[in-house]
Amino acid sequence: MKRLRLDRWTGQALVARSGACSASTPRAALRSAAVPRCAAVRSQSTSAVLQIPKDDEYYDGTDHTRFPPLERLPPRATSLPSPPPERALKSAKLAALRARLSLPDKLPLQTLARALVDASADDNPLFNNTNLAFVGQSLINYHVAEWLMCRYPRLPMDILYAAMKGYAGPASLHQVARSWGIEHAAAPGGEVDPGLLQFSMHKPGNAILGFGTRRAEADGMKKYKWRHSLSNRVIFDDDFGQVVADAAEQEKPQLLRRADTEYGNEYTRALAEAAYSTCARAVVGAIYAHTGREPVKAFVRAHVLSRTLDLSRLFAFAKATKELSLLCAREDFDPPTARLLSETGRASRTPVFVVGIFSGADKLGEAAGPSLEHARSKAAMNALKSWYLYSPGEHVRVPSDVLVEDARPWEPAYIDMGEIIGR
Amino acid sequence: MTIRALKQISTGRNGVGAFVLQCKKMDFHYCDWAGSSRGMNGFIKSLLPKFVGSHPQVEFSVSPRPSKHPVIIAQYINGREKAICVRNMEPYEILKKAELLRDASGEQLRKVTKPVQSINESVRGVWSPYHGNGMQV
Repeated sequence: MKRLRLDRWTGQALVARSGACSASTPRAALRSAAVPRCAAVRSQSTSAVLQIPKDDEYYDGTDHTRFPPLERLPPRATSLPSPPPERALKSAKLAALRARLSLPDKLPLQTLARALVDASADDNPLFNNTNLAFVGQSLINYHVAEWLMCRYPRLPMDILYAAMKGYAGPASLHQVARSWGIEHAAAPGGEVDPGLLQFSMHKPGNAILGFGTRRAEADGMKKYKWRHSLSNRVIFDDDFGQVVADAAEQEKPQLLRRADTEYGNEYTRALAEAAYSTCARAVVGAIYAHTGREPVKAFVRAHVLSRTLDLSRLFAFAKATKELSLLCAREDFDPPTARLLSETGRASRTPVFVVGIFSGADKLGEAAGPSLEHARSKAAMNALKSWYLYSPGEHVRVPSDVLVEDARPWEPAYIDMGEIIGR
Repeated sequence: MTIRALKQISTGRNGVGAFVLQCKKMDFHYCDWAGSSRGMNGFIKSLLPKFVGSHPQVEFSVSPRPSKHPVIIAQYINGREKAICVRNMEPYEILKKAELLRDASGEQLRKVTKPVQSINESVRGVWSPYHGNGMQV
């Protein structure tokens, strides 16, 4: 017979009722769950009235003499919002995490434990990871931005933002933190293992985790889709060119209410993603705080920039042929001409045309498509992508390389004129 | 506004920048009474301390499992777990099994037929019938 998985049951049956009758087995306790409701009505009953404990102390019904706790908790630990820092030294998970990430011994376990406490679990900025995450976010974004700008100097600003988000955005940092083997606690509290990520499934934290201004016209922009230019986004919005939104306006009351009974929903997934990404940033901030600039750069390179992102898949063109002819005019190339290189089955159901775009004798791009028009625009897109994705080399120097002692002086990096058609 | 950006998320490749050992926790279960645990008890006394000391990145736990065969259960970063029953084994055989679990990626075992698996695009490109001069038959 299959064993009952009590921990998989929906929350309602497992909530410790105050004054639950002392049942011999957990299953018996569940069966007698309906008793107190009837007892309230049957005032003439001779059955013993259930005693409700007067004190507020949380009691989950465990027989502590038979099942002694694995770890002796400090007094009043269960009333704290997050585990006390001294418990970090005894956590096996935390020590394993530090070794798994090859973090130096200079980084104390207490700081690593603090990096795992989200602002939604503990409001106190002295005990949560807000400050570390702010530092970490600035460092990650700086290193990703300088690397992208030096490695792909011709990226349009829109694509640069998308690439920044692809490497250092919340979704990918969430994946990074998961790939470190960080698990989360079911609910935050002083008694949970400090090696688990702690965040609340009920409310987002109110931590400010980045630069950017809350726009006064943000509501109108959302409702009426007001246009905001790219330079406007550079100045006002966050590091990924996105409008800074209030945490409060993201709340969805129905999803919030269902968060306890469902295994997980859209809202809890968003909270988990935010908490994991904040934790990854906080680990980077902690490395910076305890070991300094160079180790943090190596860490960001190893864990964030070493990931694969195909930048050529970020582009979506509206008028590729027009943009290509403007590019040729700007760069004094011969105007682009499309030529049919080869074709097959023109009269058939599935023809293939291979079209090349030439500027004088130079072939700028080539593509195959099922119609002449399609092949031509694809060829123009390929030509534009090869222009925009120009790279001086795989191992380009970045400005922060100069900060090392006895580094070669900085040679100016390639700076592009900018996008062909602005907006 | 002719260029629009699409959303993409970078994909991780373990071992390209940093290597993270995929085994994150190992549980060793033994029984004090049963004969099938004799090798496991010897392993826990003699070999386990050194094994644990050389793997700080893995969380270890040793716990009794009375009247049952000894077992090693490993948990992996991808959320899966693997268990090996080590009944009637000698301590060094158990060490081999522990190393096997440590080195596993946690993925389900599947037959590998291609010599290389990669998410990088091919250096030579895909062969096209529309290019080149072709061959006269």
